Amino acid sequence: MDELTFRRTIYADPNTQDPDVIKAAMDDPSKQAFWDEVKALDAQMVQAMNIPVPENFAEKLILRQGMDEFTQRRQKRPWYVAMAASVAMFAGIGYMTLLAGDNGLANDVFAHVSHEYMEKEIMMSGAGVSNDKINEKMATFNGKLSEEIGNVVSANYCYLDKIKSLHMIIKGEKGLISLFIVPDSESKELKEDFSKDDLIGSSFLLESAKIIIVGDDKSEVAKLQQTAKAAFTF
Amino acid sequence: MFSRNKTQKPSVSTDMMKKQKRYEALVKALHADIFRYAMWLIKDKAVAEDVVQETFLRAWKSLDSLKDEAAAKSWLITILRRENARRFERKQFDLVDIDDVAVADPNDFGDVTLEHRELRRIMSGLSEEYREPLMMQILMGFSGEEIAEQLNLNKNTVMTRLFRARNQIKEALLGDQTTGEQVNG
Repeated sequence: MDELTFRRTIYADPNTQDPDVIKAAMDDPSKQAFWDEVKALDAQMVQAMNIPVPENFAEKLILRQGMDEFTQRRQKRPWYVAMAASVAMFAGIGYMTLLAGDNGLANDVFAHVSHEYMEKEIMMSGAGVSNDKINEKMATFNGKLSEEIGNVVSANYCYLDKIKSLHMIIKGEKGLISLFIVPDSESKELKEDFSKDDLIGSSFLLESAKIIIVGDDKSEVAKLQQTAKAAFTF
Repeated sequence: MFSRNKTQKPSVSTDMMKKQKRYEALVKALHADIFRYAMWLIKDKAVAEDVVQETFLRAWKSLDSLKDEAAAKSWLITILRRENARRFERKQFDLVDIDDVAVADPNDFGDVTLEHRELRRIMSGLSEEYREPLMMQILMGFSGEEIAEQLNLNKNTVMTRLFRARNQIKEALLGDQTTGEQVNG
């Protein structure tokens, strides 16, 4: 193999497996030296080309694809899916609003029967509350308490979801029970029976007022309900 | 349209998982090589990063067309070169001949020894018709046939270009040495 062909072949591919080239290098040490030199240059070029890759580049590429996929899917959604989604959303909002009205009142009721709250109320009202005292406050609701409903330890106005109510705390046999009086016109959404954790709530309509009773014992709540039905007049 | 969606639905999520796994494996195995190739082709780090991102996005979209994992490297290079060409289509008006831009910013290529820096300067100074087949051979390990296919040239032309590329590098290095001696002398 002549010198020029040898050099050309090596320069074109230093890793050539061409048997003629290999033989020529074996026969001529100067050719082998030339080949080694080119291989060394290639090794240097490999190192020189080995530039650093930006940090977390692979993660970036994967993330970018994920984001792209996400936007693609959003764009690919057919119109009826979008329509269904918006209908569902409005239905959801409507339902939430309904629930919020109801839950708002019920939640406030539960907030007012928490132990901390009731303790504060009882502390402020001192010993017991007489029927006369209660009736002074009942006037707001055009109502009257004419019978004993038990040991009333506190009777105060309080606001349930912006509705003015009268909150009475009654000491029952098994614990404290709360009785709320709210104008019926403003509490129509409240269910008759509701509960949260261990607390049981019950509400009933008595002429123009709604009476809400909350306690942690079902039988006591039911008993007070019967008593209240006879004791209050509106 | 409806029926197509319906028939695909049951296996869609598992297919997606498989595709995602395959894609992540591809990214992890080849992102460094592809990025380096893009750097040597484009000579601008920010643009190279962009083009590589576009490349992998394209790859994701047509991942199903890649039947053989062994061909992934040349498949990605094909996409990369096409993406790079699109860059010029898009930016027809502020087109700058990349080979006219003197040399790449040495900082873009990372910190290196003086010797490598010199070699890099020479390599990035090669015209694209010589630089690209050389990169394919050295960086990507492509054979003469593979390079010919990528560049749409016949193999003899590729071998000639590779020969000339090394020849130019060698001469440039020798030229540097001569200049060096002259300065020292």
